[in-house]
Amino acid sequence: MKTNAKKSIMNLAPVFGLIVLVAAFLIVGHMKGINISYGLKSVINQSVVVAVVATGAVFIYTLGSFDISLGASVAVSAILGGMVYIKTGNLLLMFATCIGVAVLVALTNSVLASIFNLPVFVTTIAMLSVLNAMVLLLIGINGTGSEISVPSDAVAHLDNIPFKVAVLALYILACVFIFNFTPIGRKEKFLGGNPLCAQLTGISIKKYSIIAFIISGIGVGLGAFLSIVYAPTLTRSTASSVGMDVIIAIVFGGMPVSGGARSKIYAALIGAFSMTFLSQIMTLFNLNSGIGQIVKAAIFILVVFIAASNHRQKELPR
Amino acid sequence: MSKEVIIEVKEVSKRFGSTVALNRVNIVIRRGEIHGLIGENGSGKSTVTSIIAGMQDADNGEMFYKGEAWKPENMIYALDKGIGMIVQESGTVPGISVAENIFLGESEQFRRAGIVSRRQMVKEAQKALDSIGAGHISAAMPTGALDFQNRKLVEIARVMRKNPEVLVVDETTTALSQMGRDIIYGICKKMKEENKAVIFISHDLDEIMNECDALTVLRDGKIIVTFNKDEFDENKIKTSMIGRELEGDYYRSDYDDTYGKEVVLEVKNAQYQDKLKDFNLKLHKGEILGVGGLSHCGMHTLGKILFGATKPESGEVLVEGRSIKNEADAMKHGIGYVSKDRDYESLCLNASIEDNISAGGLDKFAAKGFFIAPGSEKKYVEKQINDLSIKCQDRKQYVSALSGGNKQKVVFGKWIGRGSEILVLDCPTRGVDIGVKQAMYQLMFKMKQEGKSIVIISEEMAELIGMADRILIMKDGKSTGEFMRSDRPKESDIIHCMI
Repeated sequence: MKTNAKKSIMNLAPVFGLIVLVAAFLIVGHMKGINISYGLKSVINQSVVVAVVATGAVFIYTLGSFDISLGASVAVSAILGGMVYIKTGNLLLMFATCIGVAVLVALTNSVLASIFNLPVFVTTIAMLSVLNAMVLLLIGINGTGSEISVPSDAVAHLDNIPFKVAVLALYILACVFIFNFTPIGRKEKFLGGNPLCAQLTGISIKKYSIIAFIISGIGVGLGAFLSIVYAPTLTRSTASSVGMDVIIAIVFGGMPVSGGARSKIYAALIGAFSMTFLSQIMTLFNLNSGIGQIVKAAIFILVVFIAASNHRQKELPR
Repeated sequence: MSKEVIIEVKEVSKRFGSTVALNRVNIVIRRGEIHGLIGENGSGKSTVTSIIAGMQDADNGEMFYKGEAWKPENMIYALDKGIGMIVQESGTVPGISVAENIFLGESEQFRRAGIVSRRQMVKEAQKALDSIGAGHISAAMPTGALDFQNRKLVEIARVMRKNPEVLVVDETTTALSQMGRDIIYGICKKMKEENKAVIFISHDLDEIMNECDALTVLRDGKIIVTFNKDEFDENKIKTSMIGRELEGDYYRSDYDDTYGKEVVLEVKNAQYQDKLKDFNLKLHKGEILGVGGLSHCGMHTLGKILFGATKPESGEVLVEGRSIKNEADAMKHGIGYVSKDRDYESLCLNASIEDNISAGGLDKFAAKGFFIAPGSEKKYVEKQINDLSIKCQDRKQYVSALSGGNKQKVVFGKWIGRGSEILVLDCPTRGVDIGVKQAMYQLMFKMKQEGKSIVIISEEMAELIGMADRILIMKDGKSTGEFMRSDRPKESDIIHCMI
C-alpha cells in the first residue's frame, strides 16, 4: 500500500509541478500587476504547438527512440503549406500539405532506418540537416528572400484560443485512445521495454516504428498548421526552438527517457505547459531568454536525474 | 579440516515494499565448506547472498566476515575484500569487450601516459579466462557476441581473477552445459581445498547434494533447517523446502507414448550455419517431443527456427503445410515459444505482469482486434494469474520484482492465455524450484491430454525421460538418436548419442 502510494505520488509529480507553476505565475503576475487573462492566452498560444508536436513524439520516445528533426520538420511543413496557400488560396489544401509533408518526412526517417537497419535517431540527425537546408532554399526561392507570407486575413478567423485548444484536444484524445486502448499503443510500449522480447512475441520492430513515426508526423503537421495560424509570416526562425522544446517538455512531463511501459501521453501536455509557465515567470522577473534557456537545461538534467534514481530503486533483486 | 567461521549472518531482515524477503535470518558459513542454499523461488536465497556480496543493504540485523562487522558498500568493495558473487541472470555488460567486462571499473591500472593500454588489458583478461578453463573465449571480442554460457564464464573469470575467499554461485549452473558446470564444480572444489568457502544456490537437488558439505533450506524468507552432508535425504529436503509433501506425480507416471498421426509442425532439410545440418523433424498432434543434447548441439537454434525467429539458410519449417515466415506468422498458426534466456528474450522486466501476459494475446481479447476494453484485459490476465498460481501483489506488479519461478509462470501465461496449440519450450524449468517445476510438468501433461503438442528442449536428461513421448538427441546439428517412451530409455543410452 505504502509502495503503491509512493508510486502514485511519483507518477503525479509532474502534475503537481504544473500546479505549482500555475500558482506561481498567478501570484507573481498579480504582484507585478499584469493582465492575467492576456498572460494565460499567451501561455496557450505558445504551448499549443509544442504540446501537439510533443504528444505525437511520445510514440517515438516510447520505443526508446529519439527524433531530433521534429522542429525542422514543423518549419518545412509550414513553409510548404504556406506556399501552397499562396498558389491556390485554398486553406484546406494548405492544411493537407502541412500534414502530408510532415508524414512524408516521418516516413522517410523510419523507412530509411528500416532499409539500412540503422537506429532511427541516426536518420533523424541526417534529416535535420536536410530540412534545415530546405528551409533556407524554399524561403530563398519562393519568398522575398527572408520570408514567405501567408495573408494574415486568410487565417485570422482561426487565430483564437477555442480553435487551437480544440485541435490540441482532439489530437490528444486520439493519441490517448491509440496509446492505451488499442493493440498499437500496447505493442509500442512493449517494444520500448524490450525489443528482443517484443520481436519474440510477434511484434514487428520495423512496422511499429513506422506507425509511431506516422502518428508523430500527424502531430508535426498539425503543429505546422497552427504555427502558420499564429504567425503567418514564415521565416528561417519559424519553429526554430520547437525541436528542443519538445524534447524538454516530454521529459519535464514525466516521460521516461528509456521509453517502455511507463510511457504516458499526458507527459507531453503537462511538460509543454509547464515549460511555458516557467518561461513566463522568468520573463516576469525580467530574466532574459539566454538565462531562461540555461534554467531549462538545468531543470532538464535535474528531472532526468530524479527519474533515473526512481527507476533504479524499482529494479530490486529478488 | 578447519571449522573456522568465515561469515556469520545474524537476525538479518529485508523488505521490498509490503513483501518480506528475509525475516530474521541466521546463517553460519565455515572455511573449507561448500554450503548449499535451497528453497522455492522467492524464499530469500538470492536476497541473503546479495546482501552478503554488497549488492544491497539489509534493513536490520548484522553480519560478520572473518570475525569483524561486515557492511559492504557495494559489490566492488565486497569483491576487493574477498567476497565475490556470480549472479543468476547475466552479470556482464553486452556493449563492451570481454576484457573490459573482466576489468570493469579497474581499467585505470592499464593507463600509461594517460592512455589505457587495451592490448595489455586483453592480455591479462585472456590469462584470467585461461585460468578458469575458458580459454576458448577471446578476451578481445565483444561480449554481446557471446552466448549465455560464455557470458557466464566471463563473469566467473572476472570474479575469480580477484582470488576471493568466499564465492557465491547463485543458480548459475542450470544455465550451463556440462562443460560450464564442470568449470564451476572445479572452482568450488579448489576453493574448498584452499580452506576458502563457497555458497552454492541451486534448484537441482541432485547437484546440491553431490557438491555441498552442508545445506540450508529457506522458505518464505526464513531459515527452516540446516543439514550436514551425512543428514542429506532427498525427501526430507523437499518437504522442508515446500512445507508439505509433494502431492501427485512429479513427472508423468505413465509409459504410454501414443499421440495423434497428424503432423502439426515439420522441419524439412533445414540448414543453418553449423547449428543445423540437413535437419528433419516431425511433431505430431498431442505429442510431447523432447530434444536433448549438449549445449552447443544446435537444439537452441532449432527452437528459434521452429518459431520462425531464425530463418534457415535452406530447407523450411511447415505448419499446416505452409512455410512459417516469421514470429507473428508462427503465432497466427498457434505456436508459442519460451526462450532459454528468460530475462532477455521472454520478458519485459520493466513492465507489469499484465503488460507481459497481454502482449501475447492482444489479438485474442481486443474487440475486433482493435479496441482493448479494460475489463476484458483484466479478466484475461487474472485468469492466467489464477490458473498458474502466480505469486504476486496484483497484476500491475512489475515482473522484475518476481522470483524466477513466477517470472517463468508469466511467460507460460503469455502463451497459454492465447490458446497456443503448439509450444516450443527451451529449457522451461531453468532456475525454477521443484514445486513450480512439478506444476509445470503437470500442466504440460494436461496440455498433451487436450491434444496440444509440445517440444521440450532441455539439457536435463531426467526431464526429457520424465516427460517426453519421444526423445530426439542432437549432436553437431544432426539427429543422432531417437527414443520412445514405451521403450523406457536409460540415461546412459541417451548420453551415448550425445557425446
